[in-house]
Amino acid sequence: MASKADQFKNAFREEGREVLVDLEAALLELNDHHGDAELIGRVFRALHTLKGSGAMFGFEDMATFTHNLETAFDEVRNGRLAVTSELIDLTLSALDQIRAMLEEGEAGAPPADPAACTEILTKVRHLTGKPEKHFIMKSSAPAKTDSGDAPGAEPATATGPVREWLIRFAPGADFLLNGANPLLLLRELGQLGGLAVKASMAALPPLDELDPERCYISWEMVLSTAAGCDAIRDVFIFVEESCELTIETLAASSESISASIADRKDAVSMNAADLTARALEDRRENRGGRRSYDAPDNASSLRVPAAKLDQFVDLVGELVTVQARLSEIAQQHDDPEMAAVSEEIERLTASLRENSMNIRMMPIRATFEKFRRLVHDLARDLGKNVELTIEGAETELDKTVIDQLSDPLMHLIRNSMDHGIEPPEARIKRGKKPIATIHLSARHSGASVLIAVSDDGGGINAEAVRNRAIERGLTTGDAQLTESEIFSFIFQPGFSTAAQVTDVSGRGVGMDVVRQRVDSLRGSTDVASKSGLGTTVTLRLPLTLAIIDGLLVTIGDAFFVLPLANILECIELTRAGIEAANGKHIANVRGEIVPYIRLREHFNIGTPRPEIEQIMIVQTEQGRYGFVVDRVLGDCQTVIKNLGRFYRHVQLVSGATILGDGTVALILDPERLAQDAVRAVLQRTRGRPGAAGGGNRLPPDRSSVKRDANFVSSGPAAGASPQ
Amino acid sequence: MAVALEESGSLNVLRLEGGIDIASAAELKELLVKALEPGKELRVALGGVTDLDVTAVQLLWAARQKACAAGVGFTFTDSLPEALLGTLNQAGFQSSLFFENNS
Repeated sequence: MASKADQFKNAFREEGREVLVDLEAALLELNDHHGDAELIGRVFRALHTLKGSGAMFGFEDMATFTHNLETAFDEVRNGRLAVTSELIDLTLSALDQIRAMLEEGEAGAPPADPAACTEILTKVRHLTGKPEKHFIMKSSAPAKTDSGDAPGAEPATATGPVREWLIRFAPGADFLLNGANPLLLLRELGQLGGLAVKASMAALPPLDELDPERCYISWEMVLSTAAGCDAIRDVFIFVEESCELTIETLAASSESISASIADRKDAVSMNAADLTARALEDRRENRGGRRSYDAPDNASSLRVPAAKLDQFVDLVGELVTVQARLSEIAQQHDDPEMAAVSEEIERLTASLRENSMNIRMMPIRATFEKFRRLVHDLARDLGKNVELTIEGAETELDKTVIDQLSDPLMHLIRNSMDHGIEPPEARIKRGKKPIATIHLSARHSGASVLIAVSDDGGGINAEAVRNRAIERGLTTGDAQLTESEIFSFIFQPGFSTAAQVTDVSGRGVGMDVVRQRVDSLRGSTDVASKSGLGTTVTLRLPLTLAIIDGLLVTIGDAFFVLPLANILECIELTRAGIEAANGKHIANVRGEIVPYIRLREHFNIGTPRPEIEQIMIVQTEQGRYGFVVDRVLGDCQTVIKNLGRFYRHVQLVSGATILGDGTVALILDPERLAQDAVRAVLQRTRGRPGAAGGGNRLPPDRSSVKRDANFVSSGPAAGASPQ
Repeated sequence: MAVALEESGSLNVLRLEGGIDIASAAELKELLVKALEPGKELRVALGGVTDLDVTAVQLLWAARQKACAAGVGFTFTDSLPEALLGTLNQAGFQSSLFFENNS
């Protein structure tokens, strides 16, 4: 059953990671609000949970280590120890060790450092005035789940009046299968105060009908403790969703009786002389005898391994492809019944696709929040005062995108902290607030999400970047570059203007990683900077990576898909219209001049063009453009398939998809098509080679585009008409 | 952990050793059902047990109920380690009564 034990540990690891994230956030917030009792309580509860549940799932080192910190925060909670930056820094360092203990055994995870742990505990004990003790890691692997004394056997003390709590605890059907052990929970509960426990066997079926892996026993307990309801509930925090739990205060009752087990048919035993049985009796009558196994399974959420989800989405993708084939076949057979079934399947598939995509959507909050720690640590190391503000943390993105966002964001923040933000003295001299701000924001924009990292630092010195680019041969001294083009050099591999290489950045490694990662997510980057005022780097990322809505078009015999999200409208392009525009590649869309790109020419497709072509008007970062195709076949759900390593340098195409009849259609990337077309025009008119060299795109300069005679006509409006 | 049934004449001995937990629950149930034969006495030997979890307690409890109802002799032999009895007591099972050496 080793694999099952591992499953339990993995489940705890997942939960533990979340608790650590919350703990870290609470600590960092506490750093700004030292006296906030609610935050202190949050920190204490998180530590308590890690300790208690860690012990339950066999992470004994972690539990023992965390216990010492919990004790310190108990002192804080009770007003005997003040919150200081030192305590918070110590706890943050401890948190890193706890994380290492939690991840121990996971591939690639660094082990916890026993020397660092001992040092942390020595300092914590120095703060709390508790006697010195050496922290000895019992093992490198988590110990057996339920052997030995629970760590932190000394009860967490709490001030306040001692109250009696009536706790009813009925494990659900899958409680034991989830790796939980009720006996350990009861033992942990006992650490909060005097506990009287009564186990009920009333629900136990006859032996032959008994499911051996299900828990039929329920418990009623009376706990005398100064701890509050939250502390009691925390004992059950990891199992709350798989059990029925009620916690009520008992009216102060002086009647303590020693009821006997023999009096009760359904009780195995009662071990407590101080069990307030009468109170229990009263409550029982009100309860209506409902037990957890009578209750419907009402877990509001469930945890699914990401790999299973990926597999599910892959299957939905396959289904979408097969459904397209079915629709194709149904169209060929003039059979109304078949058409009806095909349409129904199409509707269901679309709904299934949408739902499966939604399942993968996650708020970006967790990714954003974890940078609070990075900013805190870097600010301390660099001697700067920096505040991190977060906006739009609820914005949802595909899990795959979120997973790959951490690195680019980290590099951007490090860069801002090191190069962007000035030391406090310099800020004061410039008339700025001594506390700098880094602002992380996320918001939806069509089918994309815009994630921005802004700082109010010194901004990028465009001249320095330009000079460095010239030194490195990326451009020439006489090249007329826009600010946007200049800033885009910072994404070049090994590009740095930093005079000094620090631990944080300046080696020129990082920003190219940002560009690469964002490119691999089919996103784009944009830099805006004002000297002396700050810099904003915006990442534009697609909402999802797996399946998109597209418009299927043809040019000659070739099929292409354009993402529907970019398309504004389709208009006809007639020969008469072309003549009216004097052969210029422009269209007049209700008075607005829109330059267009002939994809037939752009892709060197040699077939003759039809009498009437279609212009797809698309919205790109650079504005509106038209892409001319032969025919528009209609919308299609497009499962994106990667083109593979061989085509990885082909940037105009973001992938391929398989159509219903088995034909492969390339998925076009309108942003890059527009950039590419504009660059081609610029090269023709300026007669210079690409500024950044092969494969490196530069953001186009729209003002140059408008000046270009091939693109914009000064004559009468073109004759394209909206359909 | 180990669960073994020794059958001889009018006596069945179910021997439990090591930690008896959810991993051995299905096997324990199967052997308990098999061991409870009319006209035969069942002894559950607890001598080698180091740990018992909720599933084991449930099964032994249900087995003893079934034995009582069917008039089959059911006894525990040997006693559980003190620490284990303590844990079970703490969880509200009056283990010293439950695991007493008579049916």
